[in-house]
Amino acid sequence: MIFPSVRLSRRSQQVISAWVFILPGLLLYVIFLIYPIIKALQMSFYEWSVMPGDPNEFIGLVNYSRALRDPIVAVSMRNTVLYTIITVPGQMILAFFFAFLVDKVARGKIFFRTLYYIPVITSWVVVSILFRYFFQSPKGLINHILLDILHVIQQPIAWFREPATAFIPILVLGIWKGIGWSMVIFLAALQTIPKEFYDAAAIDGATAWRKLISITLPLIRPTLVFTLVMLMIGGFNVFISVVLITNGGPAQSTEVILSYMYHQAFDYIDFGYGAALAFIVAIIIVTVSYLQIRFLRRPEEIS
Amino acid sequence: MKIRLKFLTCFSILLAASLLLTSCAPTATPSEEPTAAIIKETVIVPKEVEVEKVVTATPEPAVISFWHAYNEVETELLETEVIPLFEEANPGVTVELLNVPYDDFRRKLLVALTGGSPPDLMRGDIAWITEFAYMGALEPLDEFMSDFDSYAEAVFPGPLSTNLLKDHYYGLPLDTNTRVLIYNTEMFADAGIAGPPETIDDFLAACEKIEAFDAELYCFADGGTYGWAVNPWIWSMGSDIVDSSWTTASGYLDGPGTQATYEFLKDLLDKGYMHPTIVEGGLDVWGAFGNGEVGMILEGPWFPPYYGGEAEYGFALMPAGDGGHISVVGGEDIALFMQSQHKEEAVNFIRFMLTEEIQLTMAQVGQIPVLKSALESDYIVNHEFFGYFLEQLQYSKARLPHPNWTKIEDVYKIAGAEYLLGLKSFEEALGAAAVTIDSLLVLED
Repeated sequence: MIFPSVRLSRRSQQVISAWVFILPGLLLYVIFLIYPIIKALQMSFYEWSVMPGDPNEFIGLVNYSRALRDPIVAVSMRNTVLYTIITVPGQMILAFFFAFLVDKVARGKIFFRTLYYIPVITSWVVVSILFRYFFQSPKGLINHILLDILHVIQQPIAWFREPATAFIPILVLGIWKGIGWSMVIFLAALQTIPKEFYDAAAIDGATAWRKLISITLPLIRPTLVFTLVMLMIGGFNVFISVVLITNGGPAQSTEVILSYMYHQAFDYIDFGYGAALAFIVAIIIVTVSYLQIRFLRRPEEIS
Repeated sequence: MKIRLKFLTCFSILLAASLLLTSCAPTATPSEEPTAAIIKETVIVPKEVEVEKVVTATPEPAVISFWHAYNEVETELLETEVIPLFEEANPGVTVELLNVPYDDFRRKLLVALTGGSPPDLMRGDIAWITEFAYMGALEPLDEFMSDFDSYAEAVFPGPLSTNLLKDHYYGLPLDTNTRVLIYNTEMFADAGIAGPPETIDDFLAACEKIEAFDAELYCFADGGTYGWAVNPWIWSMGSDIVDSSWTTASGYLDGPGTQATYEFLKDLLDKGYMHPTIVEGGLDVWGAFGNGEVGMILEGPWFPPYYGGEAEYGFALMPAGDGGHISVVGGEDIALFMQSQHKEEAVNFIRFMLTEEIQLTMAQVGQIPVLKSALESDYIVNHEFFGYFLEQLQYSKARLPHPNWTKIEDVYKIAGAEYLLGLKSFEEALGAAAVTIDSLLVLED
């Protein structure tokens, strides 16, 4: 035997083996997540200097108060919230609709599920650049479809010229790319509902609408809440599509909080301010997620 | 079972030891002996390790890292001709090249600096040197290089001045350039325009003719409202964004001369003469020029070797206004980072890049030399298109080599876009920008 035999109580043995299993993952988690988070929190209270040897000046909450007065932070926050409140319901409603249809098809369920899931696994970078081209003016694909095929507009739309229209490609991409993810989850939830409930409802003469409202939705409610929370977190983290489609333009009107944070941290090397912005977003996400879970889930579901 | 386990343990320890030995023993005989022989020799393991420590004493060759943003054509020449020549002349020194696209260069460099791992050398935009020097990232070359003065005298003073912060030079120029007007000769002939515009009035007249010829075409295109694009118009129309001592933008950026320039640009945009990509982005300007959708662009000397479009083109000076034919000076400087571990070798590379031979080699791909002597060479004098650029360089001006340049440029880039898009009036947009820039011009010590 390599190890000397020491008698340990059963409990100590369990504790030790538990730690042995937990440790590798925990170490990675601490090094790559907890440590950077603490470091970023520390940075947010400093005027953080670029050169590794230079002293960093402690400035307390100055970065945070600056964020509250920064007009572009207000624009970014408004756009981030707008993105979330449009794309989250957009994704959920369409995902539910497609999940419902795919659940009903007799054959090719896997085919459709895969088909709708493809956008989820495509690269954000690739599709963002594609969307940039689709919405090009005056000769982009979207203008071509609207103008020459559907005849719904008279003039090509200069999508990236007006703040209002420049955000549309970002929203459309956000919804399109997210449908598959929610759909797969909804589909799994739909399949857990016992068929007997629908049969019983049919005997009682319930309409399809009534079945949806009284059986389907209540039974998949925990899934809906879970999806809502996850999508909301995703919505607040919108970044790649904004940077690649508009890069915040025209004139910073489509900036979102993370693109602005990136700009501050990596173009202006204001790491302290960037970290403060990141923490503001984190606080908002944690608060909203907590409230959603607290109020939308029933007590018995939480425990 | 137990015996087998013991044997396995012994065997694996032996195997590990033998692997260790062979891996750190360059002179040891490679694994010619069968495994059994190694097993027998276990006892002498410590001895062999002792011997190892004595043997490994060959000096580490110096590797100097060089970050650049040369385009594909330039990079190929650098890799196949320039670097091999340097490595041949400097045995033991290897140059490790990293090609970073221009748009990400500054950002990537800043991240590397914060991480404590910048390259030894960079070929950076002339607009960035003072910023990095101000941060304390660059070695003052005038102190570090004993022969700095001879280089300072051999190069042109304009490009050299972009390396100056307070009393020290933090780099040396490597190449210079400027933007000239490049026009589609066929489109001009079709639209009935006699020749390239001499003045801004001629430019406008040409735009009107192109519009009349085919309203789908654009007379002019540029990539954005940054300094590289708008400054030539501001300067040529006789105004500037700051005063000559760089203390204020108020009264300059929002002054009447600059207002006239921005109004002129807005008019070009609103009338459909200028492609909306200046405010919307996203257009491949070269591509659009190449397909004959755009009549005129402003471009640098890298354009002819790298252009792959269809349209035939000609060169002209920046159209003149009240200020003259004033374009923008570009170019790159080479600078040495403080944290470099091989400063002597790196400085030798700087000297090498500034030899007449290498300056003329890089000129083949559109890099205009900064050495006075190189410009007098037959190659440059008889060059098919450098003449236009060299003439334009006599009237061109550099963007502000100020440590806060990136922020300053961002401020008026955004303000310019706000005005051109019609989101804000000139006073609202550029007036506020001037106030912000005033504060950015002040440097803390």
